[in-house]
Amino acid sequence: MKKRVGIVGIGQTKYETSKANQLLDEVVFEAASKALQHAGITRDDVDNVVIAASDQIDGRPISSMMEAGPSGAYLKDEIKVTDEGSLAAILGYLRISSGLFDTALVTSWSKCSEGPVVLVTNLGADPFFHRFCALNYITAMGHQISAYKGKYNVNDLAASKVVVKNRKNAVNNSLACCREEVSEERVLSSKLVVWPLREMMIAPLCDGACSLVLASEEKAKAMTKNPIWIDGISWAIESYYLGERDLSRLTSLEVAARQAYKQAGIENPLLEIDVAEICDISAYHEIMAYEGLGFSNWGEGSKLVEQDVVKVGGKLPVNPSGGALSGMPFFANGLIRLAEAALQLRGEATGHQVDGSKTALAQGTYGFAGQGNSVFILRK
Amino acid sequence: MRNVAIVGTGQTPYTTAVNLTYEELVYTAARKALEDAGLNIGDIEAIVFSLAPTSLLGIDAAERWCIGAVGGINKPFMRINTGGATGGSAAQAGFFNVASGLFDTVLVVGAEKQGDTADTQLILNRIMSVRYELPFGLNAISMAAFAAVRYMKKYNVKQEHFALVAIRDRRNALNNPYAHLKGNYTMERVMSSRMLCWPMKLFDCPPRSSGACAVIMASEEKAKQITKTPVWIKGVGARSTTYWIGDQISGALFNEYGEWDAITPAAQSAYKQAGITKPHDEIQVAELYCPFSVNEVQATEALGLCEKGQSSALEEKGHWDMSGHLPVNPSGGALCSNPIAITGLARVAEAALQLTGKAEKRQVDGCRTAVTNSPGGTFQFHAVMVLSNKL
Repeated sequence: MKKRVGIVGIGQTKYETSKANQLLDEVVFEAASKALQHAGITRDDVDNVVIAASDQIDGRPISSMMEAGPSGAYLKDEIKVTDEGSLAAILGYLRISSGLFDTALVTSWSKCSEGPVVLVTNLGADPFFHRFCALNYITAMGHQISAYKGKYNVNDLAASKVVVKNRKNAVNNSLACCREEVSEERVLSSKLVVWPLREMMIAPLCDGACSLVLASEEKAKAMTKNPIWIDGISWAIESYYLGERDLSRLTSLEVAARQAYKQAGIENPLLEIDVAEICDISAYHEIMAYEGLGFSNWGEGSKLVEQDVVKVGGKLPVNPSGGALSGMPFFANGLIRLAEAALQLRGEATGHQVDGSKTALAQGTYGFAGQGNSVFILRK
Repeated sequence: MRNVAIVGTGQTPYTTAVNLTYEELVYTAARKALEDAGLNIGDIEAIVFSLAPTSLLGIDAAERWCIGAVGGINKPFMRINTGGATGGSAAQAGFFNVASGLFDTVLVVGAEKQGDTADTQLILNRIMSVRYELPFGLNAISMAAFAAVRYMKKYNVKQEHFALVAIRDRRNALNNPYAHLKGNYTMERVMSSRMLCWPMKLFDCPPRSSGACAVIMASEEKAKQITKTPVWIKGVGARSTTYWIGDQISGALFNEYGEWDAITPAAQSAYKQAGITKPHDEIQVAELYCPFSVNEVQATEALGLCEKGQSSALEEKGHWDMSGHLPVNPSGGALCSNPIAITGLARVAEAALQLTGKAEKRQVDGCRTAVTNSPGGTFQFHAVMVLSNKL
């Protein structure tokens, strides 16, 4: 019988448009320290550190040179992934599952106020074709949503309802960046950025860091009365070439979700999952993720938001924290979703708690048009 | 813990510039490794991508461009970046993918294209602290020079001792068809090479290399089906010390910049897992990522392959030669080929070749156990792996 890995500590900074008064080092240190404190342990109890960060958003090659220290890695076994925050949790999980480590401190961050994400993602494109098509993470989303809308005839009103829902949820999350309710009219009349995406449908970039403490089954049980178990964990990536993909669906999310559900023994996600924190990098992407995650049939995701299934109080509340639409430190997004899902199961999501949650889902996403996705199933 | 083996490797020749796109370069190594293992891409369950700062090739997320080229579509995929240590860290991530029990067959692959870089040392200046060290012009060469000065003072060694390292590596590289720089050089030739940053001269420094490397890892059960000569990963360890070079001379334990001794606790972890108590007697070959000549002197000592301060005296006696007691870098090492993103992974691949007896002209006879390392950042990240052909 495979041993489980538990989440035993969660630390987040407040998410803010600009943390101009804090060095990145200080932002990272704050999250890592908070996670240790939350787990009731010190750095001495940690036997390995995993980091996820983007050199380009941080503005220097090998950003972990400076940030490994604030992440708690001094004279520890440390490693860094460069896909997205959720991958740090995955690598931490793999390292503990191997039996070689017991306790991992996992951290990711972004200070988007200082990192030009649109330019950085454009420079992530190949230098022969896509870079000169002005491909960046926002235009890539525009292409994807065009394909989605073209196929399924989903309207902007449904997308605006996702924004309204998540921003309303964020009012109750003291760490969220944007904590002001908005109306459908305001979303629909906000500036058109890349058709059909309007400004308020795109997750606003912000600054912040998030840390988790992961532990082996024995250690987790010894550390806390309520460890949160990672019962399903899977990740997958699609082709880079947008032309090779069916952009109207999040295929790698579907692949990852299917595998994670299999590991966790979930047959009907809509009924069996109590709360989900997913990557609403755009309002449409939350709807597309419902479909990729099997909460609805293809093309019918918008019904879930129209019928209030996914609001707090509905059958499956999605993003009670407010999600990325209430503030997204670009690279750390997936790790924050995982942290928020774990907080829900611990009953510690102060202000935005979904009562009675026993099973939670978290998603991370990265690359152009949701190229890569990771899925976690958590249980009490 | 689950046993994990290397069952296939693939490398391209390392050179300044390659006439392939990054995608094509990566594909070449992945395909070679699959052929070596007798597998096809459908057999690979997960992929780890080894890519250090992409500023060197000018494409931020180059790994995502290569998903198709490495057969990663709809598979689990992750990229490791720990600076220079990336190759060693990626090999360890591959190990953890299999050891976790989640996957049976994993491809670790990556490539470097420094031929597309106008000035590597300019980029390696940009890794430094914007607020303090960057304006001083600190880069990898000056970083190594500082360490060399500190080591020379403590152990009273001379530039000629570092030159011996360069001469041995370049000579060994003559036997390695993949090596970038190779040749028989005299002491006079090396000593008269251009001074870059005292005491590091041109021959004490690595070339800017391009190339690709891939390693396939498998669980014990799978490995035994795939090959008759699996190479077992017996121990892995890594350590990070402080970024600040000034703080790496604090006198604290495992924190001496001039001796690379943050590598010691990483090696101790790996040796413990491998059941090694006397590394200098139990290891037959070392493939070390030592980009500068001084680093080989430091690493052989910090890895416990000889006593502190003794590496250069042993070098004079031919201890580290191909015919010596413990051959170091039969491939020529990083001093002859330094494709940064994969230099550490190439060390693992070369160690695996040695342990399967497939190292051709650079084969060290009777190898049972090998050690590899990778340094990164301000020599602040260290990854160590111990491999053996006996389970």
